Amino acid sequence: MIAGALDYRLPETVREATEQLAVEPRDTCVIGGGTWVVPWLASGERTAGRVVDLRRVAELRAIRATDDGVLFGATVTYSDLVRGDTSAGPLRLLALMARGVTGGVQIRNQGTLGGSFVAARPSSDAPTALVALDARAVVRGPGGERRLAAVELLAGAMRSALAPAELLTGFELPLQQDGGIGYVKLKRGASSWPLVTAATRLELDSSGRLEAVRLVVGGATATPLVIDVSTVLGSQGDVAVLAEVERRTSAAVVEPYADVLADGSYRAAVAPVVARRAVAMALADARRDRSGERR
Amino acid sequence: MVSDGLLGAAVRKQNGDRFLTGRIEYTGDLRMAGMAHMAVVRSTHAHARIVAIDTERARALPGVIALLTGEEALGLAEPIPHNLDPAGLGGQHAEIRCLAVDRVVYAGEPVAAVVAETAGEALAAARAVTVAYEPLPAVLNAQDALAPDAALLYPGWATNEMIAGETADGDFEQAALDADHVIDGELRIQRTSAAPMEPRTYLAAWDERAQRLSWFGTTQNPHPMRWVLAVALRLSESQVHVVAPPLGGAFGLKMHGHPEELLVAILSRMTGRPVRWAESRAECLLAAGREQRHRYRAAFDADGRIRGIEDELVADHGAAAAGPGWGMAFVASLAVGTGYDVQCCRVTYRVVVTNRAPWSGVRGFGKESANLLMETIVERVAETTGLDPVEVRRRNLVTADRFPYRTATGLDLDSGDYHSLLDKVLSKVGYTDARERQAVQRAAGRHVGIGIAFELTPEGADIPGALVGGYDTTTVKIAPTGHVTVLTGVTSPGNGNETAIAQLVAGRLGVPLELLDVVQGDSSLCPYGYGNLSSRSMITGGGSALLAADELGQKLRTVAARMLEATGPDAVVLRDGFAILVADEGHAIPIGAVAHAAHTLAFILALGIDPAMEATCTYRPPNIRHLPDEHGRISPFASFSNAVHAAIVEVDPETGVTVLRRHVVGHDCGTVVNPAFVDGQVYGSVCAGIGLALTEELLHDADGVLRTDGFKSYLLPRATDLPQIELLHQCTPSPFTALGMKGAGESGLGGAQAAIFNAINDALRHRGARIDALPASPARVFAALAQADQAVAA
Ligand SMILES: Cc1cc2nc3c(=O)[nH]c(=O)nc-3n(C[C@H](O)[C@H](O)[C@H](O)COP(=O)(O)OP(=O)(O)OC[C@H]3O[C@@H](n4cnc5c(N)ncnc54)[C@H](O)[C@@H]3O)c2cc1C
Repeated sequence: MIAGALDYRLPETVREATEQLAVEPRDTCVIGGGTWVVPWLASGERTAGRVVDLRRVAELRAIRATDDGVLFGATVTYSDLVRGDTSAGPLRLLALMARGVTGGVQIRNQGTLGGSFVAARPSSDAPTALVALDARAVVRGPGGERRLAAVELLAGAMRSALAPAELLTGFELPLQQDGGIGYVKLKRGASSWPLVTAATRLELDSSGRLEAVRLVVGGATATPLVIDVSTVLGSQGDVAVLAEVERRTSAAVVEPYADVLADGSYRAAVAPVVARRAVAMALADARRDRSGERR
Repeated sequence: MVSDGLLGAAVRKQNGDRFLTGRIEYTGDLRMAGMAHMAVVRSTHAHARIVAIDTERARALPGVIALLTGEEALGLAEPIPHNLDPAGLGGQHAEIRCLAVDRVVYAGEPVAAVVAETAGEALAAARAVTVAYEPLPAVLNAQDALAPDAALLYPGWATNEMIAGETADGDFEQAALDADHVIDGELRIQRTSAAPMEPRTYLAAWDERAQRLSWFGTTQNPHPMRWVLAVALRLSESQVHVVAPPLGGAFGLKMHGHPEELLVAILSRMTGRPVRWAESRAECLLAAGREQRHRYRAAFDADGRIRGIEDELVADHGAAAAGPGWGMAFVASLAVGTGYDVQCCRVTYRVVVTNRAPWSGVRGFGKESANLLMETIVERVAETTGLDPVEVRRRNLVTADRFPYRTATGLDLDSGDYHSLLDKVLSKVGYTDARERQAVQRAAGRHVGIGIAFELTPEGADIPGALVGGYDTTTVKIAPTGHVTVLTGVTSPGNGNETAIAQLVAGRLGVPLELLDVVQGDSSLCPYGYGNLSSRSMITGGGSALLAADELGQKLRTVAARMLEATGPDAVVLRDGFAILVADEGHAIPIGAVAHAAHTLAFILALGIDPAMEATCTYRPPNIRHLPDEHGRISPFASFSNAVHAAIVEVDPETGVTVLRRHVVGHDCGTVVNPAFVDGQVYGSVCAGIGLALTEELLHDADGVLRTDGFKSYLLPRATDLPQIELLHQCTPSPFTALGMKGAGESGLGGAQAAIFNAINDALRHRGARIDALPASPARVFAALAQADQAVAA
């Protein structure tokens, strides 16, 4: 039950949306899917006089190939990814992530990746996966458009770096070689938020040596943590690679995040395990890819 | 002659289609002309003085009709009558008001209430009420509350101890001297909630002209609820009409004593409007239960025979309440010993008030804790003696030839064959093979654990001095059309007992189920009853329905015999919709025709018998004993269902995450009326036990404010967390109750929790680790392993 009355807006273009948002930005709440906003308004965690619902803005729901990658709209839902053609490129990792989103078909149909990103919850899935893809965020405000590395849009736990009058319109995902992907999350049960997540993509050279790898750990810290694993490049033996991934992750988690589901020391202790499992998954995926097996 | 044609049939739930397709009317679906909505302003402090309540801004908001503070409510209602006053058993009495006056004692306590035209407007107004608090020192756990210098919750009390007592007093010290081994330990059980699908909802309508209150709501006990409202509102009980619409689960939460039950009524009288309140999930999760710490000792011999048990239970109740919650600590202490032949027990309990939301009734009602404690002890006996845990159970469980068996706490166990139930479960799970596989898996580094639990569930309680009755009443009547109506004092939390009662009556009267309606939950229509609690509905509601059906059946057969020119009622049988001549089955009259004739030809066909085509009977189980025995002990339960559980878990040693691989349960609740409903109860109860073992826990911040206020933080098991639950039945009828029925509804939970807990410790044992607290969260299991590794390294 939402307390009191709301001025509800349903714009059809990005321009209309930004205009409606610009009137009273501090008293306005943007809705992607509303799966966070509606419960917040109901519980009183957030109050707003106006909501601007983006669901009718068709351009925000598009996924488009560009010369240097994929342009990914802010209101693309998990179901869009699960149902769409995601057999190649950066969308593959997002689809893998999307398939594990909970809350049933209602949440997967309704929740948007943009909404998840702006909500900036450490335990959410999308931010970690998008940062692992090296996404750039596209932001539209009264002063025009700006682009920044997605990770920079995450200012802290539950805090985005968007200005009140700014809209996230989407993400640019750079083109990538086909390689291996891995996404692993640790939870307390099906209903629990993830405690720690890890998303990775990597490439092997023709002789099976690691040529490129990007590993991001979520939930262990307030914002997704890019783990520098450059020391494993060129390695071939999995055991050594995985041990190094664990060491690097362990060293990187300095100020662990804590919430009601798990304390910081536990998250710090298991983050290396989750990271290692994601990389192991990606290595297996890359080999399957190279051996021509169907994924 | 009577028949039991439908006994044991998996008849489908009456109205089941309406539940499934969303057409059933819950309280939240009811609409009344002029209905307004209530929202509650709740304390944001665990303990504080209320300095001022500013309602000005709220009153000015759109749609606001009325606003009520605790001060104002003082003149409008009496304190809430206690469901189970601890003072009656030598404890301390607390006066509970529907709204706090002067002082709040927990975060979430109702401080003011608002009525507005819409629920949203009521909520907005409630949020606009500003309360100035002066914080007072809060005690947030039982240990702090018992400290000599602890802040007191209630000024009139000498300590924060609500009640303490002893339920058994054996010579444990002697047993300890005689025994080969003595172990001690601590078991900490977490704070959890009932969490029904449907939160609490109430709708009250005061009729000023008739001076009558109609009250609709989520209550398990409509007649006692009527008493609460009448007493608190200074009305006669005949001025109050209570209706309990279908419930979406109750689990003990919906027993009376909640402030909002009264608030809607006060506000309806104040405003002249029907007033409804629907609880939010966050409010619903305030309701607590079960948090307790056991300090135990056990004395036993090298052969695994347990000589004695000592247990000190300390329950962290939260603030005092008018509900029956504290009784769970008392029942837990009564149930210690469960189905084991341990005559030397020393059991004490203490219920402590703290500055958190109070206990409400919750499924298991303390019995689950006793089972968990016993099964923990048995497992540790096995560990110490090197015996297989199954063998320790075999050597200590009460054998089938010893019933009725009086336990150390005075309970009279009715009947059972615990050993054969154990064997059935072991064979189903393939125990020997599972142990062999476990050894292989362990050698490969896997942490697989097997846990067994025996579970005893005392059911059908009658609590002396409280409106918690162990007997109940049913009226069965037949209309001239042949339509049968069953009016019963027991209610259904959604479990289908109305259908099972219908089955019994239909079987006895020989009428098809389609011609039979069961009416429950209406204080004006139904005979006085105690509703639904303590898995009592079939023993008492079914038992009284059988008696009433037989009495009415006797009348019908008398009338039919006269119509058929037979010798007397015994010459006629009621079956398949007909009154049939036993000696010549070709001669039969439709039962409807018999009913019609009885109504219209009473001076011919009903001469010499009571012509009313109805009967009202009460069933009182003969084995509840309130007169104390020579040790001062009573046995307040009508039946003792039992179960054996076997759980196989795998723990991920790198993360502490537990996965339940298999869960087998063998259940014995005596005669089963409808196996589909019993299965449903056991499945649900086992799932609840899985949640208690692994994930459920109410957690608060350092200021005592609840943080687990939704289902993403209060973690119930979901379908994908569960294995296929493998259920088998054994039937050992009770020699005492009608048809040999025992309660079904609560059993499952304590045993599942215990079996999983034991399985986890079994998985950790070879690493030298164990946990003594629940839930078995990944962090807790991980920490236990890390600690054991450190101990090895040191
Ligand atoms: C039962 C349940 C299960 C869930 N399971 C998961 C899960 O498994 N994994 C997971 O990650 N999350 C989960 N969620 C959380 C949430 O539903 C998702 O993260 C979802 O993607 C949030 O997106 P949304 O569009 O609904 O957000 P909204 O509620 O619409 O918005 C969230 C925030 O972002 C802002 N916002 C939204 N879109 C924009 C935009 N384009 N520009 C600027 N600001 C914007 C809003 O103002 C708000 O502050 C679950 C939620 C529920 C209720």
